[in-house]
Amino acid sequence: MLVLRYMRRPIFVLIIVYAIGITGMALIPGTAADGSPEYMSLFHAFYFFTYTATTTGFGEIPSEFTDQQRLWAILCLYIGVIAWLYAIGSIIHLIQNMHFVQALSEYRFSRVVNRITEPFFIICGFGDTGSLLARGLSDHRFTAVVIDRDPERIKALSLRDYNVTMPGLCGDPSEPRHLVDAGLKHPQCKAVIALTSDEDVNLKIAVVSRFINPKVQVICRSTSTKHKEQLAPLDNVRIINPFEIFAQLLSMAIITPRLHNLNSWLVRAKGVRLGVPLDVPSNNWILCGYGRMGQWLHKYMKLNSINPLIIDPDIESSSGIDRFIKGYADHGTLSDAGLDTAAGIVAGTDNDSDNLNILMSAQVLNPKAFTIVRQNHHANQLAFDAASVDLILQSSLTTGRRILKYLISPHIQILIDYLREQGEQHTEKIVNRLSTSIGDQTPHLWSVTLDSKHAKSATELLNAGHIINIGDIIRHPSRRCESLSCVPLVVLRTNRPIMLPENEIQLFNNDSILFCGTEQSEQLLASTLNNTYTLHYLLTGKEVARGFIFQWLGQLAEDKKSSTA
Amino acid sequence: MNLERVIFGFFIILSLTFNFVFVIGDIDNPMHHSVWILTIAILVNLIATGLKLGDRSQVGALLLAASLVADLLLITARVVWVIYQNDTLQGPSAESIVTIVSLAGGALIANIVSVIILIGDTLMSRR
Repeated sequence: MLVLRYMRRPIFVLIIVYAIGITGMALIPGTAADGSPEYMSLFHAFYFFTYTATTTGFGEIPSEFTDQQRLWAILCLYIGVIAWLYAIGSIIHLIQNMHFVQALSEYRFSRVVNRITEPFFIICGFGDTGSLLARGLSDHRFTAVVIDRDPERIKALSLRDYNVTMPGLCGDPSEPRHLVDAGLKHPQCKAVIALTSDEDVNLKIAVVSRFINPKVQVICRSTSTKHKEQLAPLDNVRIINPFEIFAQLLSMAIITPRLHNLNSWLVRAKGVRLGVPLDVPSNNWILCGYGRMGQWLHKYMKLNSINPLIIDPDIESSSGIDRFIKGYADHGTLSDAGLDTAAGIVAGTDNDSDNLNILMSAQVLNPKAFTIVRQNHHANQLAFDAASVDLILQSSLTTGRRILKYLISPHIQILIDYLREQGEQHTEKIVNRLSTSIGDQTPHLWSVTLDSKHAKSATELLNAGHIINIGDIIRHPSRRCESLSCVPLVVLRTNRPIMLPENEIQLFNNDSILFCGTEQSEQLLASTLNNTYTLHYLLTGKEVARGFIFQWLGQLAEDKKSSTA
Repeated sequence: MNLERVIFGFFIILSLTFNFVFVIGDIDNPMHHSVWILTIAILVNLIATGLKLGDRSQVGALLLAASLVADLLLITARVVWVIYQNDTLQGPSAESIVTIVSLAGGALIANIVSVIILIGDTLMSRR
């Protein structure tokens, strides 16, 4: 419609010019082959004008023109060609118009979004974290809609090879109009994730989304305590502080290495093998960098009664820290700090080249020291990989994985927190179970809800009064005494989770179970839960008769048996 | 070994074989096709259909569908036989027998599908 409105004048001009040319041609008499006067029909006049105005020029058809006709044909040619040039020029002008192009791409974008039928997420900001999150969602076959202010990032998005469609819009994500275009009011929109570099923009996105669609989940990246206080009272809003997550992970690696190993394995971190935890020293640490992240790290280390030596150029003695050295973490400062006797060092400044320098000094002074390094930019990956560090923590990666975990399987974080409270022995038990069941295969997390949509036969049997234990449904459909390669992690029942359920735990309708296993076992389990005969066999070990006739015969045989007994 | 599966498999494969026995031979030679075999094939097919009724699994639904197709085609073939059986003294003419055997050939395909599904299901469940 927009095109037609803009093209109104050129179209009028074309119509008028055609009308003049055709009328004139039809009124001017010509000569037929036998010399008698002949008028051109309206259709012939239109045919002549069409090939003349478009500069095709088939010639003088059907018979040679008279001079009057040729005179009029000259006029037709000039006005026709000019009218066409004007129309085509207008179209080209329209296509080059920035606003028109923007409007067209927005229209296309909202059409793509409206056509989404599966649950999807809105990612605001396509930086390091945003692109990692999009990649993770695509691996789990979830669609995401991306909004970013930078047209280059949207171009980058369109060049990625995702498993699902990821429509992208170039625009200000905090503008409500753009959020609605991105599907904020769409019934399948599950969450809005605000990941722009500007924290005030993130806050605005959270508040706007909250007002426009209160049902949608909001995840907001923010490091400021002020924002946290502002957003905390709202339900369905979750604040992600990358520094805090980073500090949590690092302290997890130091305090509970087994849990850290399990966690990294579950999120499929590179080069992690289940049951091979890092050998992290628990004291005598040096912490380089005391910025916002350094403070969080220090807080978490203190909570776990580790008192690291801090090296930072801007540190103040009044901030209540007892062990610190004021200065840049260069070779001299590090050897003064006693790096040669330290058990471990954290290179945690916000500058990647500083961190690499610290690593270099550590390798010279004390090659045995445990090194943990903070990687700030995704682009420096190769340099950090080559530095042979014990543990690389990348802020965008840890944040992206945490959000992904929250979106895909929200209960896994509950389990991790539970295991942290329970201690390392508990973790070791579950790790043993996972490694015997899954081994070296890639872990896959999924959850199953026992309702008529996802587990039809299981609900039928439950309604018929059968007792289903969790150990029964994970039996292998071909070999009943063996289990599928999956482990139930959490059973969720009316929001009260049962952690690490034993095989004897009884299941009820609408229970939701979180599993960790192979992708193949997910398919087998899904088919078991939807096939009455298989499920019955797994529960009882007996084949149930299929079909009315065999059921009737079976009933007959049973009656006979009971009557003789 | 499960007696139920034995009986089930027996009737499904028997309906395929009887169907084949009727179809085999020159398509236009009435001497090669016996009306008795056709009637028995219909009977066995109907029994197999009956055994498939009431199975609520996906595979059961597909088996039943294939069986119903075979029944439909075989019964149509038998009706056509009745219509044309007075063509000559020996029974249907060559033109009529072509129609009848073609219909039975269609039923043969449905029966083959049935047997393939049965074998596939048995191999898949492996228990």
